[in-house]
This record gives sequence, structure tokens and C-alpha cells, in this order.
Amino acid sequence: MAQIKMALDGADKDLSAGYMMWYRFSRNPAAVIGTLIVLSAVICALLAPWITPRPQDVGAVVNFRARHLPPDAQHWFGTDKVGRDIFSRAIFGLRISLLLVIGVLGISVPIGTVLGLVAGYAGGWTERLITGLTNVMLAMPPLVMALAVSNLLQPTLMNAMIAITLLWWTWHARLIYAVSKSVASEDYIEAARIAGAGPLHILFREILPNCISVISVKTTLDAAFVILFGATLSFLGFGVKPPTPDLGSMVADGRQFMPDFWWEVLCPGAVILYVTLGFNLLGDGLRDMFDMEG
Amino acid sequence: MQQNPFLAILTRLGTFVLVMIVLSIMIFVLARVVPGDPARMALGPTATPEQVSALRTEMGLDLPLPVQYLSYMGRALHGDLGMSLLSQRPVTADLAQTVPATVELVLAAVIIMFAIAIPLGVMTAHFRDLWIDHVGRLVSLVGVTIPSFLFAISLQLIAARYFGDWPIIGRMDHGLGFTGGPTGLMLVDSLLAGRLDVFLSALQHLALPAIALSMAGIGQITRITRSAMLENRRKDHVLTLQSFGVPERVIIFRYLLKLSSIAPLTIMGLEFASLIGNAFVIEMVFSWGGFASYGLNAILQKDLNAVTAVVLVSGLFFIVANLIVDILISIIDPRMRRKEAR
Repeated sequence: MAQIKMALDGADKDLSAGYMMWYRFSRNPAAVIGTLIVLSAVICALLAPWITPRPQDVGAVVNFRARHLPPDAQHWFGTDKVGRDIFSRAIFGLRISLLLVIGVLGISVPIGTVLGLVAGYAGGWTERLITGLTNVMLAMPPLVMALAVSNLLQPTLMNAMIAITLLWWTWHARLIYAVSKSVASEDYIEAARIAGAGPLHILFREILPNCISVISVKTTLDAAFVILFGATLSFLGFGVKPPTPDLGSMVADGRQFMPDFWWEVLCPGAVILYVTLGFNLLGDGLRDMFDMEG
Repeated sequence: MQQNPFLAILTRLGTFVLVMIVLSIMIFVLARVVPGDPARMALGPTATPEQVSALRTEMGLDLPLPVQYLSYMGRALHGDLGMSLLSQRPVTADLAQTVPATVELVLAAVIIMFAIAIPLGVMTAHFRDLWIDHVGRLVSLVGVTIPSFLFAISLQLIAARYFGDWPIIGRMDHGLGFTGGPTGLMLVDSLLAGRLDVFLSALQHLALPAIALSMAGIGQITRITRSAMLENRRKDHVLTLQSFGVPERVIIFRYLLKLSSIAPLTIMGLEFASLIGNAFVIEMVFSWGGFASYGLNAILQKDLNAVTAVVLVSGLFFIVANLIVDILISIIDPRMRRKEAR
């Protein structure tokens, strides 16, 4: 009797949606690898001062005797033009990249989500205004706008972040709008309204839960885009001020010494690739987990 | 519901005009509220206050912002975008010189993108879960993962190491003594002049930057094509064809491909803005000397008239690309002609 009960419990557990999602996620090698990559990057960035071999190289250190050294056991990624350890600097550079992700997505995702929800549910002029604004913003080349904005103000990381954030919310608004619009015409929304639910309740308690999967997949994939975007900005010279290490500007610095000192370009580049790969794999894994199309 | 296809296109055009107006107001206001006086910057630090205020009056900087905007747009519509501080020439002349180079690069990239991504998408969908599918997934993943500057630099490194004399910067070999022609497109001009050597040199120079620029798009378009093919394969009319015994080859190439090229085309239009953005990076790495290089310089030097023009032209690129996409889609899909303009 007890055995049957246990078996039944097990079956029950197997059928729960959360367990099925976890099962799909944990059996998906890409998702697991992506999670591990992202976790390792975050941990490295957090613990950078303690785990890097030469944390002092983050500052304006000059050690000309050790300049342009190729990768070896002591300097895993070699050294740069003034003899600083590229591995240490790259790990610290990760901090800037991840900070950028938190800053940009932390602001633009909530804004985009709320606007998308409202546009899809409210309809009428509100809908036209928000979708119109979104369409206009989408027509702007993001990189060009970010360059223009950050340089017309001051070419700092803070301004670059503001510029990216100004443009980024549109993609989320557009996406959430589509989901919200299709959900808004469902019967249960009508039922909730008849039962006397206010617009806030309907937006955030009835419609928003339908968007969670879309938001989490999009946000994860966007993290990779933001990192790429930030690296591109600093590669073009619109990043943090030296000597603060930043992956994009490290690649730009190394480019002057191509092709002889290739590691000065490829090693920081590989770190960017590592993180963006992680977020992409994780995003794809989440998409499979939620069983979404495309 | 609008039944008339021309009305739909007109509505779409109206949207685009609106986009341009909002874009121009934004960049105009942005360029005018920045710290720093354009008149002072134009004259340099040695100018007297009287000279500066005289130039301010001449440039119309004393007038209210809306008046300045309207007069700027009025002149812009007549092809006068002001003088560039950097080149000391009319911005329009600079654009006429640099835009064709970028058009050539972007067109080449788009052609490469579709030539690789559509067949790859079709094959990965057809041979689902076989090795070619995994190759396709890998290409898509690399395409969206790798920073375009890193990919561009890696191409240069590979070319320098294994193909010794392959050109890795510039648009053509200056030793050939070719100065350009009427269109500004190096490939077309060289053929018009009957210079096959120049054509080959230009093609060689174009190859690497075009491949580098197409990489990000290849990944996305492969992915979209694959999922569109798989989705449409399950449609009723396709299953009907299959049950009538129509060969798979015919189904894929005559029916599915047409239907499945709509999604990638739409994405292409939407992604055009980031393609232009990437051109800034690629042109810098390959010293391409196009509109994007010009724009980057203008932004770095705070050349306000040029920056405004660059942003407007980037927006125009996006709009033209999307118009072409709309027209292509309405040719491919007759249903679109009857639908309301999106």
C-alpha cells in the first residue's frame, strides 16, 4: 500500500509543469553549459580582486621589461604594451560588461514591459501612441544613436549606458505588446473585468504572468547583445576611461600590434565570446524549457 | 480594412515620413542642447567675442529652436545640410562622396547573407537533427555571439597569415591609378570604364569586409528560415500537396521556399538598423572610407552638421531598406496586398 502511494506521488511529481520544465532544462546540454558559463563569469567578476594573479595591473601600472609577452604559465593571456597581465585585466573587464547588462536591462526591461502591457490592453489612442513611438525608435540605428548621444554629452560609460537604455526598451515593448494584445482578447480577461477587477490587477496579475517566459528568454538573449554592444562602443573609443580595463578597449589597444602580438586582440576577444556564448546558450535553453516557437 | 494596395503603400510611406520627422527633431534638439557653442568651435579659441556673436547671428543660432529647426529642414529638403566643420565643405558633398562606398559594402553583405543563410536554413530544416542541422546551428550561434570587430580582425589575421598578398584594408589598389566613376560603386565604375584589373582588385578588397558585415545576419536569417520552413511544412495545403504525391523537391522549392522567405525578409528589414551600426565598426577596421567612417569621425570631432546628417541618412537607409522589403513581400505574397498596412 505504501509503495503504491509512493509511486503515485512520484507520478504526480513527474506531471507537474515545473518539474517538466526543470527536466527539459537539465537534460539539455546547451542549457546546462550556458548556465555554467554564465555562473562562472559572474563568480569571476565578483571575486576578481581575489582570484586574478595580478590585481594591481588593473591600474596605471607600467612594467616595460614584461611588455608584449606571449601567453605562458605565468601570464595565461600574455601581457600588453606596458607589461600588464591581460588575464587579470580581462577578468576585471568582465565586471564592466556585467554592470552594463544590469544597468541597461534593469531599467529598460521594466519600462518596455509596462509600456507593452498597457499598449496591448488599453487599445485606442494609447496603443497607437506607444506602438508609433516604438516604431520610430526601432528605425534608429542603435549604435549610431548611442555614439551620437554619448559623444554629444560626454563619452563616458555612464552616458553610453543611458544611450543604450534609451533605445533598448523598444524591443521589449514590441514583444510584450504582441503577447499582451493576444491575451487581452481572451475570455478570462473579460471575466476578470466583469468580476470587477481594476486595470492594474488585470495588467499585472492576469496578463503579465503570460509574458514571463517571453520576457525571461528575451532578457537573457539581450544580456549577450548588451555585452556585445558595450564592447563595440568601447572598441570604437566610447568606453570607460583608461586605465580601467574594459574588454572592448583592450581589443582596440591590441589591434595596433597586429599581427605579431595576436594574443592582445584574441584573448580579450575570447572572453567576450565566452560570456555572450553563455548567455545565448542559456537563452536558447530557456526557450526550449518554455517550449516556445522559433 | 484597406483593400487598395496603393493606399496601403501610401499609409506605409506616411509612417516613414513621420519616422524621419521625429528622428530629425530628436537629433536636432540633441545637437543644439549639447554643451559647447558651435560658432565658437567653428572659429577656434583665438576668435574675439564679437566674431563669435557675428557668426552666431549668421548661423541663425540666436533664433528660437523651432524656427532653427524649420529653416534647417527647409534647407535640408533642398539638399543643403550645412557646412562640415571637419572637411570645410558642404555636408552634402561629403555624403555624395562617401555614401556609395557604404552602399556597395552593405549590398555585398546583404547578397552574401541571403546566398548563404537561405540555402542553409532550407537544408537545416529539411535534414532536421542531422549533421548539417548541427552545422547550421553552430553557424547561427557564432553569428549572434561573436563581436563583429573581433570577427573582422580575425579575418584580417587569417588573411595576413595564410594569404600573404590578400588586401586587408581600403577599397582598391591605388597603384592601378583608378579614380572612380559616375556611380561611386567601385565594381560598377570599373566595369563601365572597361578596367577588368580594377574590378578584380575591388572585388578582392570588398570580400573580407562584406563577409565580416554579413556574419551577424547570416546567423539570424538561417535561424528564421529554418523555423519558418518547419512551421509551413505542417500547413494543410503543404500536407495536401504531399498526399497528392508531389515530389519533396518540388514542394520545397516551388511552394515552401516562397512562403518561408517572408519571415527572413521582414527580419532583414528590422535588423537593417543594426546592420548600418555594424558598418561603422567594419569600415573602421578595414579603413573602408565610406559614410560610416565619415560619421564616426564626425561624431568624434563633434561636427554637429555632419552628425545630424549622418543620423538622418542612417534613418533613411533603414526606411529605404524597409520599403524594398515591403515591396518584395507584396510581390511574393499576394495576401499581403489585401491586408491592412501593418
